[in-house]
Formats: sequence, C-alpha cells, structure tokens
Amino acid sequence: MQSSNLLNWILWTPFIGVIVTLLLPKAKENMIRFWALINTAVTFILTLVLYSKFDVTTPGMQEAFNVKIPWISSFNIFYSLGVDGISLPMTVLTGLLFFLCVLSSWTVSKQVKGYFALFLFLQSTVFGVFFAMDFFLFYVYWEVMLIPMFFLIGIWGGENREYAAVKFFLYTFFGSILMLVGMVALYYASGKGVDSFSILALQGGKFKSLQLEMFGTTFSFSKLFFIFLFIGFAIKVPVFPFHTWLPHAHVQAPTAVSVILAGVLLKMGTYGFLRIAYPIFPSASVYFSDAIAWLGLINVIYGAFCAMAQTDVKKLVAYSSVSHMGFVMLGLAAMTVTGMNGAVLQMFNHGTSTAMMFLLIGILYERSHHRWIVRPDGSKGFGGLYTQLPKFSIVFIIAMFASMGLPGLSGFISEALIFLGIYERFTTITVLALIGLLLGAAYLLWMFKRMFFGDVIEECKSYTDMNAREIAYMVPLCIAVIVFGIYPAPILNVMRASVGNLVSMLSMY
Amino acid sequence: MGANYLASLSHYVPELLACLTMFGLILIEATYKEEQKTRGFFFLSAYIGLASVLVFSAFAITKEPLSIFTNSIIIDPFSSIMKMIMVLGTLGAVLITSQSKDIDGNLKPEFVIMATGVLVGGMLLSSANNMLVLFIGIETLSILSYVLASLRKEDERSSEAGLKYSLYGGISSGIMLFGLSHIFGVLGTINFTEMASALKTIQQTDLIVLMPSFLLFFVGLGYKIACVPFHMWSPDVYEGSPLPVTTFFSIVPKVAGLAAMIRISHTFFSDPGALNVGWVGVLSIVAALTMTVGNVSAIGQRSVKRMLAYSSISHAGVMLLGVLVINEIGTRSVVFYSVAYLFMTLVAFYVVSAVADKYGNDHFERFNGLMYRYPAMAVALAVVMFSLAGIPPLSGFVAKFHIFTAVLNKNYYVLAIIAGLNSVVSLYYYLKIVRLMVLKPAESTEPISGFSLMNQGAIVALCIPVLLLGVFWEKLITLADGAKVFIQ
Repeated sequence: MQSSNLLNWILWTPFIGVIVTLLLPKAKENMIRFWALINTAVTFILTLVLYSKFDVTTPGMQEAFNVKIPWISSFNIFYSLGVDGISLPMTVLTGLLFFLCVLSSWTVSKQVKGYFALFLFLQSTVFGVFFAMDFFLFYVYWEVMLIPMFFLIGIWGGENREYAAVKFFLYTFFGSILMLVGMVALYYASGKGVDSFSILALQGGKFKSLQLEMFGTTFSFSKLFFIFLFIGFAIKVPVFPFHTWLPHAHVQAPTAVSVILAGVLLKMGTYGFLRIAYPIFPSASVYFSDAIAWLGLINVIYGAFCAMAQTDVKKLVAYSSVSHMGFVMLGLAAMTVTGMNGAVLQMFNHGTSTAMMFLLIGILYERSHHRWIVRPDGSKGFGGLYTQLPKFSIVFIIAMFASMGLPGLSGFISEALIFLGIYERFTTITVLALIGLLLGAAYLLWMFKRMFFGDVIEECKSYTDMNAREIAYMVPLCIAVIVFGIYPAPILNVMRASVGNLVSMLSMY
Repeated sequence: MGANYLASLSHYVPELLACLTMFGLILIEATYKEEQKTRGFFFLSAYIGLASVLVFSAFAITKEPLSIFTNSIIIDPFSSIMKMIMVLGTLGAVLITSQSKDIDGNLKPEFVIMATGVLVGGMLLSSANNMLVLFIGIETLSILSYVLASLRKEDERSSEAGLKYSLYGGISSGIMLFGLSHIFGVLGTINFTEMASALKTIQQTDLIVLMPSFLLFFVGLGYKIACVPFHMWSPDVYEGSPLPVTTFFSIVPKVAGLAAMIRISHTFFSDPGALNVGWVGVLSIVAALTMTVGNVSAIGQRSVKRMLAYSSISHAGVMLLGVLVINEIGTRSVVFYSVAYLFMTLVAFYVVSAVADKYGNDHFERFNGLMYRYPAMAVALAVVMFSLAGIPPLSGFVAKFHIFTAVLNKNYYVLAIIAGLNSVVSLYYYLKIVRLMVLKPAESTEPISGFSLMNQGAIVALCIPVLLLGVFWEKLITLADGAKVFIQ
C-alpha cells in the first residue's frame, strides 16, 4: 500500500464496510457484528500505520499523504485530503473509539444490521471531516454526518429519543448554514484570481483589510464571517449558550453513540477552529480571543455547576463534557504554543476519559436499566457498588480521576498545559478557571460517594461484575489514560510542529 | 437574425410537436369506448409525443440563439433548457397519473391532454419576446390549469379549487393587462427588444407611470409562480386537485413563470438605475416573504400534500433569489435549482401518491413506520426529504449552494441569511416525515405490498438524479452555464 493512498483507505474502508453490511443477511446478527468488528479493527490498524509513517518534523500538511483529485473543476473544488499534526491524534482517536464501540455495541439487539451500517457510515464521515483539505468537501462531510447521527439517536436511543435527535439535527444544521454562507462568501472574497475552496489557499490574513458595506455602515469582512464560522463550530463544541442540545442528545443516545458524540464529534468543533476559523481569519481570531476565553470560562464553570446538580449520572457526565470542552476553548483562546498544545492534547485526552465514563455508565445501565444517582422520589438509585462490582469500580476510579485531572493520569497534563498557556494573557480567567477544576473534583467525587460507597442497596445485589468482553474494551482505554498521563510525548511530538506553525501565524496579528 | 415565417417554423418544432401531441391524443382518446379502462396505447403515444418534444428541445440547446416570427419569440439555450425541464415535469406527472388511483380512469386522458396544453403555454412563456406572446402564454397556461384543478367534477374540493384558481387567475390577469397597457402607453411598443431600447432613453417623469405599471405587471407573473402575497390560491388548489395534478402544478407553471421572469429581468432591468433598484427591491422583499411564509405555513400542516404545496411556495422564493441578481450566475443557479427541484418533487409526490392510494388519504400518520413496511419507498422519500432540506451530498444541497453563490456574489448578505434560516425551518418539517417513517412504530407490522413494479422502478429511476446530481454536478452546471439569456 502506497502511503499516498493511506488516507483514502482509512476514509473508505468503513464505507466499504457499510456496503458489505447492507449485503449481509439480516438474520445473521453475529456475522454482522463480527464484520463490523473486523472492519473497525482494520481501520484502526490503518490509522496506526499512518501514525508510524508520520513525519513529526513537518509543520504543515504531510506531502506524502496528500490526495488531490479535481471534483468540480469549474468551481475549483477538489477532493483533497491531507493530514497534519492536529488531525493525526484525532484520526487515531477515531479509529480507536469506533473499534471499541463496536465491542460495546455487541448487546444491541434491535435492527442490528441498520445499526452497524449507520455506525460505520458515521465513522467514514468523521474521517472525512478530519482529512478534508477543501472547505467544500469539509462542509459536505460535516453535514452528511448528521444523517447517521440522527438515526442512531432516533432509533436506538432512550425514551425521549425523537426529541433529542431532532434537536441535535436542527441545532447543528443551523450552525452549518451560517458556515455555508461564510464559505461561499469566502469563495468570492478570495477573488483576485484565487477563487478557491482550498483551506490552504484561503489561509493567512488574506481578508484582513476587506470591508463590507451594508446599511450605510462598513463591516470588517473577516470579523463578520469569523462570527459565522464561530457559531457553526461553537454549536458543535458546544460553547455556552449553544450547548442546550448536548444534554438531550447525550442522555438519549445509545452508549456507543454517546461515546462517539463526546469522544469525537465534539472535537470536530474545536478542530474546526484550528483548521478553518483560525488560519483563515487570524486577525479576527486574535481580536475575538478575549471573548473566546470568557466563553470558555463560562463553559468550565457553568458546565461544572450543571453537572453538580444532576441526578442522572449520564447527564452529569454530559455536563462534565461541557465543562471540559471549556478548557479546550481556553487553550485555543490563549494562542500560545503551550496553550494550544494543551488544547489539542485535551481534545485527545478528553476523548479517552469521557469515552471511558460513558462506556462504564453503559455497562451499569445494562444491569440496572436506570441511571438515577438519586431517584425523583429521593431514594438512592445506586449504593455500595464498590462492594458489589470491584472490577467495575477500579476502572471507574481510573476514568473518574483521569477526567478530574489527577496528576499521573492523562487529564492532568493537558489541563496543566492549558493553564500554563493562558496564565500570561488571562490571569483573572486562569484563576477563575481553577475553581472549575475544583468543582470538577467536587461533582465527580460526590457522585462517586453516592453511588459506590455505603451499603449495597437491595436492587444492586443482583448486579454482576464486568464480563470478559467489557473488560476487553475498557483495558485499552485504561492503558491510554495511564500511559499518556505519564508519558504524553507520543501525542505531543506529532502535534508540536503543526501547532507551532499555527501559533506563529497567529502571532503575526 | 430575423427569419421569415416559413423559416421560423423550422425553429419552432418543439412547440409544434407539443401541439401535435395534444391533438393526436384527443383523436386517440376518441377511439376508446367508455367502458375501456386501460389506455395503454394512449399513454404510450403521450410518452412518445412528449419525448419527441424533449429531444427537439435538446437539439436547440447547442444552437445559436435567434429570434423568430418577426422577433416575437426567442429561441435561445436558456429557453430550450427551461422547456426541457417543463417537458420532463409533464412526463413525470403523466407517469404518476398513469399509476394513480386519485384520478378516475376516464379522466386520466383529459388530464394528459390538458397538461400538454399547459406545457405549450409554458413553452411559449419561456421564449416570449413580446408582451402579447407573453400574455397568450400565461392565458393558455392558466385557462387549462383552471380546468385541471377542477378535474374531479363530482368532488366538492376539486370544484372549489377550480373556482378559486380561476377567480384569482382572472383578477391577476386583469391587473397585469392594466399594467401592460400603461407600459405600452409610455413606451409605444410591445416588443421586448424595442421596449428595452426605449427604456434606455426614458424621461424621469415617465418613470412615475412606468414603475407602478411594472409592479402591476409583476402581479400577474407573481401569481403564476405563487409568490407571497399572491400565493393564497395555491395551497387550496394544490390540496383540492388530484395528486398528479398537484405534482404538475408545482413544477410546470412555476418553471414557466420563472423563465419569463428571468427573461424580463434581463431584458428590462439589467442596467443600473431607478427601474433596476425598484425591481430588485420588490423581488427581494417578495422572495424573502415567499420563503418565510411558505416555510412557516408548511410546519403546521396535517396533510403531506398540503405540506409539500407550501414547501413548493418556499422553493419558488428561493429560486427568485437567483432571478433578482440579474446575472449569469443567477440564471445558472435557477436552471440548476429547477432541475434538482424537478426530480425531488416528482419522487416526493410519487411516493405520497402511492401511499395515499394505499390508505385513502395522505395524512402524516399514514407514514408511520413506513420504513418497516415498505423500505424502498421510505428510503426514496427520506432521500428526497433530506435533499429538499439541502443536506449534502444530495442535489438539493448543490442547488441551494448555487443560489448562495448567486446571492453572495452580489453581496446580498441579508438575503443569504434569510434563505439560510429558512432552510433550517424547512428541515424541521421535512424531518418530520423522516421521523414518522423511521422512528415511529408502524400501525401494523405487516409489509405493504402491491406497489406495482412500474411504480417501484420509476421511483428508483427518479431518485438516481437526486443522488447523482449531488456529487457529479459538473456536467449539469456547465450545461446551465451555457443557458444564457439572449438579449439583442
């Protein structure tokens, strides 16, 4: 396999998987499951191959992997794929999480064929977003992804699934439309001979001095359309006040889809900032960085307080995602090498730790069929799980501490880097955000205390501990969380050059 | 480039063929006895006749534009491609008619014959270069449409639809003529080319008469494409008419009206000035209103047909955006949008027609769990719904993208935002059908059978362009790019 085709293989392997899944007989459910497992395993291995061939010293797009085929020549639209140090960690994370999620979805028994077909389709579109080097292509993948998500939440979700699926779809679509307007406006604004959707051709401060006349006043093109793109991406992250779809979607989605949603899809929002909004509008990004930092801070604090108030454990973890993605936003607002590195690392680390949390809640749900920490009538939903489920508890503790940012586990390093990065520019915000860390520890430990300690309540006595399959998909994540907590260099090394490149571009404005 | 009458006829083959088809069909229908239900030969002749119109219109696409009949009709690539879209729309409606149970067997030939007549009117409208020809086109199209709407004579709603349609239509024609007579009074000619040159040397005082006159003239055209505030008739007519007729109404008259609107905008209003500002301003307001009112009204509907009717109003509003920019990018986007819209509408109405035939009505609940009872139909309808909402990689998205290019190229940012927000609103009700089909349990688990092989094949065939044009749209946009409006 030539390395120049590697991205194509990663992108299309899941898609081939979809077609094969659709051809398999509906009744052979195990065959479909194994096929999905093999397919995602192959994809994951391919992402590792990509990692091994990656040249850590190149700051921009890696020439060796680039794919560029004309798609619509009259509009200069290319099927153009590329990978750099920012998209590589996300690619590997996607490969890993989808593989593990297929294992965790083994118990899905409703319309197995449709489920795995959509799941593999989702994976293909996610890779498309991370690889796309053409804004048009990026937009197509960004939107197509909504279709499998809509059905995955809507068909296999919890009680209120329809509402959640529709809300998710409409919210994201709203953001995308603004992005589409921005994209087309960019195409014409780039004018002067470079009418293009190429992300590389658009970047640099090309639009800095462009002015728009509307209603008798002039607007700065870059500021106006930075806001458009910002809203599009912020809805995905989600940044306060665009976060209200998230608790519904997360809680209603089936376990594996929650994992993907929290682990990968939210990162697409911040990835959008790094790949599109920042490089294309560097001056506007710098101009708005204060606002981004404050919004990030609100995310951190508000998300943490919301999490603390939840009685549904899945909702609690969902709000903790809001809080943790706030840290990523803070890192992005810092615009320093340390802060940005921290942000990208946090994107990866939050992907693994929050995936663990959602998977564990899924495991618990399969036993209890409810997720109440405290039931609406005030009685305990869980109690004494530590005695009843020792293996489960150990994994849960690892996940919780990783998510809390305990030194030695992955969350700590990325959060520390973010704080180091923003301290110089936003001292007040740093101090306030530290309170968020404290709150994070508070709601997680409080939740842990209520669920795991105390006497084993009657209904918990029938619960069985994790089985071999469940252990099998938790172990890789445990290893990732611990190893990258002690030795984050494998991730930091690959992103360093690309992040440095972006920061130096931003520092010129 | 004028040609004499006899030579003109040779360029007028598509229209002549359409007329020939219509008269041929009347004769063929006369040979059937009352009790003969199947009309295989009749429909076959209709297909052949319309296909020949299609082929001859296609020939004209690559030819040099020219004006015929002493410059009262223009045959240019733009009009030819619009004619092809109309013929395809008629063909699709005839296909649905042949399968539908919504129209009584005896009435089907009447529909086909009159639809062909409407088509002739539409074709005339799209290449009119003379106010009189334009008016004849509109009237041919309208009068036959009134009859079509009231096709089910014994049905109250159908009669009501016909009456409403003709009342509204009559009034708007009157208003339009009133406007036209003033325009003639000022410019002294009804030929577009001469009018355009007369407009260049217009006195400031004449504008006081001309601007309201053009506004009145606009009413007639606006009524044809059902744009707000001249849309009141359309949901009632759409709902009262039999399903295949509704399909036909939401494609052919709209495309014809838009074609005329584009030609008029390009001929009269392309030069900057007070007239241009006024026309673009009116169109902008109307387009924004049309999109919004159409979408908001579609949300609350119980009948899928009525919902599609309102959504077609909003699509007309979106296409108006491509008209009001008055440039080649705009024309191209309208052509692309019409093609995409044609196939999406045909599939949507075809599936709704098939489902309504099964259940007796087309209320939303009828679609519950369709996915588990009849997957092929449900998938086709879901694809089309996503496409209508503008989700890539489907043709509806590309069409919307082109409209955005037209609007943003002119820096009409506010209109672009309004269009964007509207497509979010439209997603809500399109998603509603998908939600019912896929997420709701079926009323019974028994699979629906009995959709004829013809139906299934046709739906799949019509779905293919919806998918393909979303990814491989270079050919079509090149074609649409060549469809330039010819101005002398």
